[in-house]
Amino acid sequence: MNINELIASGNLELYVCGALSQEEAMRIDKAIEAHPEIKAEVERIEAMLQTLAEGAAPTLSPTTWSGIEGQTSGVRSITKASKRTNWGAISGWAAAILLLGGIFMLLRQNNTLTEDLEITTNENIELNEQVISSQDQLAETNALLDILRGKEFNAYTLPGNDAVAPEAFAKVFYNAQEGVAYIDIKGLPEAPDGKVYQAWSLTLNPLTPSSMGIMETAAQVEEGIYKFENVPAPEAFGITLEPAGGSASPTLEQLYTLGTVTP
Amino acid sequence: MEQPNALIERMQQGDEKAFAEIYSRYSKAIFGVIHTILHDTEASEEVLQDTFMKAWKNASSYAIGKGRFYTWLLNIARNAAIDKTRSKEFKNTQKNLSTTNFVDIIATTDNLNRKTNAIGLKAFVNALQPACIKIIEYLYFKGYTQADTADELEIPLGTVKTRARTCMNDLRKLVGVEI
Repeated sequence: MNINELIASGNLELYVCGALSQEEAMRIDKAIEAHPEIKAEVERIEAMLQTLAEGAAPTLSPTTWSGIEGQTSGVRSITKASKRTNWGAISGWAAAILLLGGIFMLLRQNNTLTEDLEITTNENIELNEQVISSQDQLAETNALLDILRGKEFNAYTLPGNDAVAPEAFAKVFYNAQEGVAYIDIKGLPEAPDGKVYQAWSLTLNPLTPSSMGIMETAAQVEEGIYKFENVPAPEAFGITLEPAGGSASPTLEQLYTLGTVTP
Repeated sequence: MEQPNALIERMQQGDEKAFAEIYSRYSKAIFGVIHTILHDTEASEEVLQDTFMKAWKNASSYAIGKGRFYTWLLNIARNAAIDKTRSKEFKNTQKNLSTTNFVDIIATTDNLNRKTNAIGLKAFVNALQPACIKIIEYLYFKGYTQADTADELEIPLGTVKTRARTCMNDLRKLVGVEI
């Protein structure tokens, strides 16, 4: 088919209308490329068909274009961000958060355990100290018992003075050879504020009291038991309530207990 | 009229100004084709918008040198218009106008911006032979293939081409001169 035959065939009209098969249309594409006359003929056919269709078009409203522009403007040039959920990243972050949370929890737990351990250690130390102190006390008590059980010591009970404290009593353990006395005042009422108990050794004819000392400053060897040394051999022991610091001579109105020493 | 390949390429690269120029060049003819199918101005405007939005989004599917750009647009427009005729909302509002052809449409359409002589075009298409009206209607406005057109008109396959040539060449003698 030469150029004129092709132009006369009606193939070009169908080509513009889009009525040709793909194969036929490709042949026309090649002919257009090769022959400017065919290209010109196709353009004339197209122009005629456009004019014909324009005749069938109502007046076009300008809003039609604004509608298109509104929907297409910037639409295609934007690269669509991937909407795929990045599970890898999400699970990564989740794992990191869990790990941090876990570490934090372990640290806290570790802290608590360390504190508990410290408290327990301290308690242990305290208990140990208590044990040691109890053992010491026991040893002291045993030592005291040993002393008091010895034949060197004589025990005397000082009865309460009926006028002042009939219920009161005191005990004295006295070693005449060494001049050592232990006085147990468990049977005396507690000394009121600002007053102290003072121990006296007495000779009876004539009545001569000499101070052994006040309980406050004496060596307390056990709860309520006080040790006094350099005690001259007495005929009696007495305990009076004296103002703080003690007195040079006993206040006889406040004589709580008095007992004689039987040889 | 030469095809504006430079404009088409710019539009394919996403140039919105080029797209606007393409629209101003082709929209009127495409609108006419859609209106010939739908006979309804409002629906035709919707389909015209749809056609050009599809053309913008799928611009890269057209290859210069593989068919005419106008033919490519024409296919999008005709398919969109035919889809519209099948939609429920459109069917409900339309009377049966299947017998109306492009000649009736041109005769009844007021087009203030037509560059060709409206009265001359109307007069000429009115004078077209019924056989020519049918073949142009099917091949151009409805987008039938050569074979479908032959079936519809009950004429031999080869006659479709020769008749198309004769009818369109006659038409060109009138309207083509002024282009």
